[in-house]
Amino acid sequence: MKWLKKAVGRERYALERARRRFIRRPTEKRLHDVRTTGRRFRSLLEDVTALLPLPKLLRRVRRAADATDAARDATIIRRLLEASVDEHEAALAAPLLDELRRREEEAMELAHHRLTRTRFAR
Amino acid sequence: MSKPERIELHGVADPGELMARVLAVRSRELGRLQGALQSGEGAGLHDFRIACKRLRYALERFEKVEPSLAPIAQSLSRLQDALGAVHDRDVLASILPPALEQAERKLHRERTAFVEQAVALWAQTKEKARVCTLILFE
Repeated sequence: MKWLKKAVGRERYALERARRRFIRRPTEKRLHDVRTTGRRFRSLLEDVTALLPLPKLLRRVRRAADATDAARDATIIRRLLEASVDEHEAALAAPLLDELRRREEEAMELAHHRLTRTRFAR
Repeated sequence: MSKPERIELHGVADPGELMARVLAVRSRELGRLQGALQSGEGAGLHDFRIACKRLRYALERFEKVEPSLAPIAQSLSRLQDALGAVHDRDVLASILPPALEQAERKLHRERTAFVEQAVALWAQTKEKARVCTLILFE
């Protein structure tokens, strides 16, 4: 079991490092790092839960994932809309684009707020 | 989104045993959801994508123990990208104002192409898994 605890510890600290980097300077790239390390860690915890149950930590990782997903989704959908409209429809798309930009900013702030209050390791 | 199946790990004592049990369950989950590729239905494809992700992470985790898993993980990563592109188009289409007709047609065309790409990538993934003989998507 030592090997499993080691593996969990490694991924846990990788997520904590990514979280701290994002908190210091919240950029899209750093948010992406939090999401990818968080997804990997969540997947590991779910896979080994029968051997090494860490329900509180798993809940924390899931909540953090929800917060960061909203920010990333808003960015992706805004970019896809920008790429999908041509010059004839640009004016019609403008209100939705504004709305998506607003959602993106809000979601980024929420992700920052949640991750500031969530620690994955000491 | 479907919840991950709990993996029975009673008696597991080393990484090799853990790998065998995790990969068996996660590949079975994926196999159960593969029908979504034929129907093309959005929610089914989304669940299939999430199951791809779970299996891919497990494969990547065990690559050091079993290097032959790497090509399957890479193949699943490409499949996941195609399914992600389908999902993004579904999300945007659901909030698109009806007046944006050309954009809607473009999104629909792209979606169809990405579903076709996903079908082809899934066939490739299954073939790689068959050659590797470690995983069978039944």
